[in-house]
Amino acid sequence: MKQNKIGRYVFLSVIGFVIFGAGLVLIKLLPETDGILKTLPDICVGLGAGIFGGNLGTAIKNKTVLKNPQAAKQIEVEQKDERNQAIGNMAKARAYDLLIYVYAAMLLAFNFMQVDMYVILTLVAVYLFFVFANVYFLTKYHKEM
Amino acid sequence: MKNRLEEIRKQNDIRQEDLAAALEVSRQTIGSLENGRYNPSIILAFKIAKYFGMSINEIFIYEEEQGNETE
Repeated sequence: MKQNKIGRYVFLSVIGFVIFGAGLVLIKLLPETDGILKTLPDICVGLGAGIFGGNLGTAIKNKTVLKNPQAAKQIEVEQKDERNQAIGNMAKARAYDLLIYVYAAMLLAFNFMQVDMYVILTLVAVYLFFVFANVYFLTKYHKEM
Repeated sequence: MKNRLEEIRKQNDIRQEDLAAALEVSRQTIGSLENGRYNPSIILAFKIAKYFGMSINEIFIYEEEQGNETE
């Protein structure tokens, strides 16, 4: 792990913190607004916190790994281990199967609750995106393998 | 698929940790292979055979009725 990669994650976490702070300031400065300005501060807070936490965590992990090359090697072996990868892929496949059924049930429930049509249509579009992505990857891997 | 990995490893007086390190896999993978819970990829099977200086057939036992097993 190179030192400059740690620097990059620290830099990104600082940017995340700035976005997070800007969001808090905007919430304080613009209490009563409409349109995009109403949701922008909340998006900034959420996005900023995510970027800050994720990148700072990676930077700390990389720093620890840099001090202990043996641990770094062990982490690499665990990540590349074919059984771990097979387990990860199987778990993702099972989660996808669950997602498809749970999502369909949720769509039905929203329909019964008479949620606005544009919400239903957006959720249906997302559902179809997952289904078509599945078909796309099936076709792709059939050609490749 | 059955295998003689545990028997061969013990004959050679090698610990699971050392075999895992030599093959660059996790120790759990060696344990699962020995228990027969996990079947290795063809590449890992070749690596194991090469490590012990044996052929794959001498370590892994293919049985006809298990031919359709996928995992």
